[in-house]
Amino acid sequence: MKTIIKSAAMGLMLIASGSAFSADPTTAASDKILPYPIYQHKLANGLNVVTVPFDSPGLAAFHIITRVGARNEVEPGVTGFAHFFEHMMFRGTEKYSKEAYGAALKSTGAAANANTTQDRTAYHMTGNSDKLELMFDLESDRFMNLKYSEHDFKTEAGAVKGEYTKNFASPYSQINEKRSETAFTTHTYSHTTMGYFADIVDMPNQYEYSKLFFDRYYRPEYTTVLVVGDVTPEKVNALAKKYFGTWQRGSYESVVPVEPEQTETRYVHLQNGSIPAYFSMSFKGPAFSDSKIDMPALDVLSSIVFSNTSDLYKKLVIEEQKVRFIGGGAYDSRDPNLFTIQVSMVDKEDMPYVLSEIEKAIAKVKTEDVDAALLERTKSNLKYGFAMGIDTPGSIATSLSHYIQLTGDPESINRLYALYDKVTADDVKMVANQYFKADHLTIATISDDELGALQ
Amino acid sequence: MRHLFKQLITLLIVLFTIQAQAMNVVELKQENSNKVVFKIRFENGSIADPADKPGLTYATASMMAQGGAGGVSYADIQDKMHPWAASYFAAVGKQVTTFTFQVPVDFIDEFYPLVKSALLAPDFSEKDFTRVMKEQQNYVDQVVRASSDEDYSKYALEHQLFRGGNMQHLLQGTSASVKTISLDDIKAQYKKVFTNNNVTLGIAGNYSDALLNRLKADLAKLPDMPYTPAVPSKARQADGIEVEIIAKENAFGSAIFTGAPLGITRSDDEFAALMIANSWMGEHRKSYSRLYQKIRQTRSMNYGDYSYIEWYSAGGLNQLPPSGVPRSSSYWSIWIRPVQIASQLQTQYPELADVNIGHAHFALRMAIREFDLLIKNGMSKQDFLATKTFLGSYTKLYAQSPAQQLGWLMDSRFYGRTDYLAELDVLLKKTTLEQVNKAIKKHWQTDNMFVTIVTDESEAKPLADSLINNSPSPMSYSNLVKSGLPAEVLAEDDEVANFHLNIKKVTVVNSADTFD
Repeated sequence: MKTIIKSAAMGLMLIASGSAFSADPTTAASDKILPYPIYQHKLANGLNVVTVPFDSPGLAAFHIITRVGARNEVEPGVTGFAHFFEHMMFRGTEKYSKEAYGAALKSTGAAANANTTQDRTAYHMTGNSDKLELMFDLESDRFMNLKYSEHDFKTEAGAVKGEYTKNFASPYSQINEKRSETAFTTHTYSHTTMGYFADIVDMPNQYEYSKLFFDRYYRPEYTTVLVVGDVTPEKVNALAKKYFGTWQRGSYESVVPVEPEQTETRYVHLQNGSIPAYFSMSFKGPAFSDSKIDMPALDVLSSIVFSNTSDLYKKLVIEEQKVRFIGGGAYDSRDPNLFTIQVSMVDKEDMPYVLSEIEKAIAKVKTEDVDAALLERTKSNLKYGFAMGIDTPGSIATSLSHYIQLTGDPESINRLYALYDKVTADDVKMVANQYFKADHLTIATISDDELGALQ
Repeated sequence: MRHLFKQLITLLIVLFTIQAQAMNVVELKQENSNKVVFKIRFENGSIADPADKPGLTYATASMMAQGGAGGVSYADIQDKMHPWAASYFAAVGKQVTTFTFQVPVDFIDEFYPLVKSALLAPDFSEKDFTRVMKEQQNYVDQVVRASSDEDYSKYALEHQLFRGGNMQHLLQGTSASVKTISLDDIKAQYKKVFTNNNVTLGIAGNYSDALLNRLKADLAKLPDMPYTPAVPSKARQADGIEVEIIAKENAFGSAIFTGAPLGITRSDDEFAALMIANSWMGEHRKSYSRLYQKIRQTRSMNYGDYSYIEWYSAGGLNQLPPSGVPRSSSYWSIWIRPVQIASQLQTQYPELADVNIGHAHFALRMAIREFDLLIKNGMSKQDFLATKTFLGSYTKLYAQSPAQQLGWLMDSRFYGRTDYLAELDVLLKKTTLEQVNKAIKKHWQTDNMFVTIVTDESEAKPLADSLINNSPSPMSYSNLVKSGLPAEVLAEDDEVANFHLNIKKVTVVNSADTFD
């Protein structure tokens, strides 16, 4: 940990020299996994403004995270709409037509794009920090004043269909869609972020709904502006106030249906012989929390039992060579989601054997303590793995975005890593028993057979 | 911009090239960094494969990076590195193979012996061999055809462009060749093409001079074989436009790549001029480029459309160009992401129940016509200035992390440059509109090109007929989109639908028969 602490000290020096009048950061960085202070400032309208100064001369990453995703698609016939709306956000305003927006964006010289998950839509650009005000101008204008014609709306739907078309080439995309709708019967996690193809084809007819969608969700209380790089919180906060200060707070809250408890193992199969046989085991897991031990304990468990240093991997992949790949882990999300173990087979005939080996490994972690030294090595891996990955403004911003989508608070990252330190062998055993239940399991298979081999 | 210049100057100050025992060294010392990155590059790549063993260099590098070394098993190596979150991997290109090692500076002393063993003492055990080769066989048999139709069409285009030469085959080889690779072949290839005469040592981050000296001394112990790099074959000149349609079961769209030989690379100053034209026409993943505007934004035909004047790895994943894949034998290309096929349009829209082919012919015409117009008319002053300004900032995003910075510096050496990104900055500033328009005419033409289309079995034959006959290919919009299109778009569509492509040959290939 020496390096992280050293870097934190340097981060603090940078702040001290660059911002004599800055507001206090919401945390002192010295004992946190993120070795840089996080400055948070909430505008009166509810917009959260987050600044993380980082030593990247001349560069800044500018992210806007809107906490709306496929999870919010509660009405029938509009699956995939949060993602579709991400596309519409590039279609212009009265001030900047789509052509003018493109020209202005080009003039920033930034790398800009957006993406959508089950829980959020994120817009990001990394570029010259001297262009920060232009970035604020462009982004605030479209978040507050987006205006597109019905024709543009219908046209953009074709691009979404094109995205689905390119993704569909992968059988893994196809089984992902089937797995979601099998594992969830009620919650909106039953559909993927792309949405159902029938709904995508119908998107051009949803112009009125799109306006409602914008009115509901593109509001300050759903949104965080995050800037990382060669910036100061004073400058970022002042620009945020100038460009987002008049944004009106909304009032809509979507009610996401609760998934009823699953009562028996479910199965789904894709007949496709173009790739090696595959199966996955998905248990119902917890929602993300930065205060409960469950998710950190599951992360530690997944590394110990399913990573490429696990006994299972060594036996099945390296020694017996019956498996091409095995891995597993819990999906971080706002509502309870899946813990999925995925296996790519060498020979489909070995599927029942490999399944039984995984079941044995699960039975073992439910009843036996994990080795104390292995537990410490795993915690070390989690921390150093994070530290190694945050070496650009964009990578830091992407890490923080992940936690902003989950809790709305970037400090969750520091709380989560503090919890990793506290995970015990008992915690690992506890979450194994809590979440690895046969009645809560969905098994998905791909092979050239008409029926799945594991049912 | 002040900071950027300061950064560039700093970079130049800390940058050294040291010729020691014929070994090239690229250094990038960053004392504030929390890690050390090594990139050990060998000038070999898949063109160093023996003619009867395509895929051998890839197999050799895989065995070095994913096998035991120094008597320590692969599993034990993974265990050792796990608490440090250290890692290493091999990336094989057509002309180079690069091993990248990364470790937190806290553990560099414990990690270094693993670096040394992986490079100098790979075990090449039978056990590792069967595992690694199963994976490689699987890739050439199945994965390359089943994962992404876009990548499939890109590799298939290279297969056409370089047919008969050492640049033709996949890095992983062919279904037939991988079966013939033996462990003895791998051991021999290691001695032959991973030598101390074709290695470049790259190091970045928070390292000591003592460590660097130790690494230099150790790399001198690599096999000391005389080494002459293979000469990469040149891309072929097509006779007219030659189209290969790959018919695949249950494809959902038509994935298209097209290209033609290009005589310049980053080594040439003129590359900067062509880069400006290409960026305006089809900058990778940029919504304001011409092709994207015409095909996706206005006509709703697919997810995106881009153009390239050098190899670009994993375009579906990378937003910015990655380092580590330099080439001296080049071609320019157009990537048209999957467009709709007839069977899909028929089921989606009643008004399109009678369409015979999907959008591939129209999209291909539209993209090639845009190049044709640019070659004839050149860039406007306004577009030139905006694109030059854009690239001046954008190219500074290519190398942000220590590993990226080191990778770009090492690629610079491949092209005979010291710091390509810094030199490019100067070249871009100096480039004039006249130079750009001259480069366009000199290097681009649309009469002779290769085209690859991966599509559904149902689409292949009607599309092939339409292409070879140069039949009109009117754009088949849904009524929803068509009703709102401006008259000028529809008028342009008429021109595109009848645009003459110099197609002289169209072949339909079954997916199972590709890459042989």
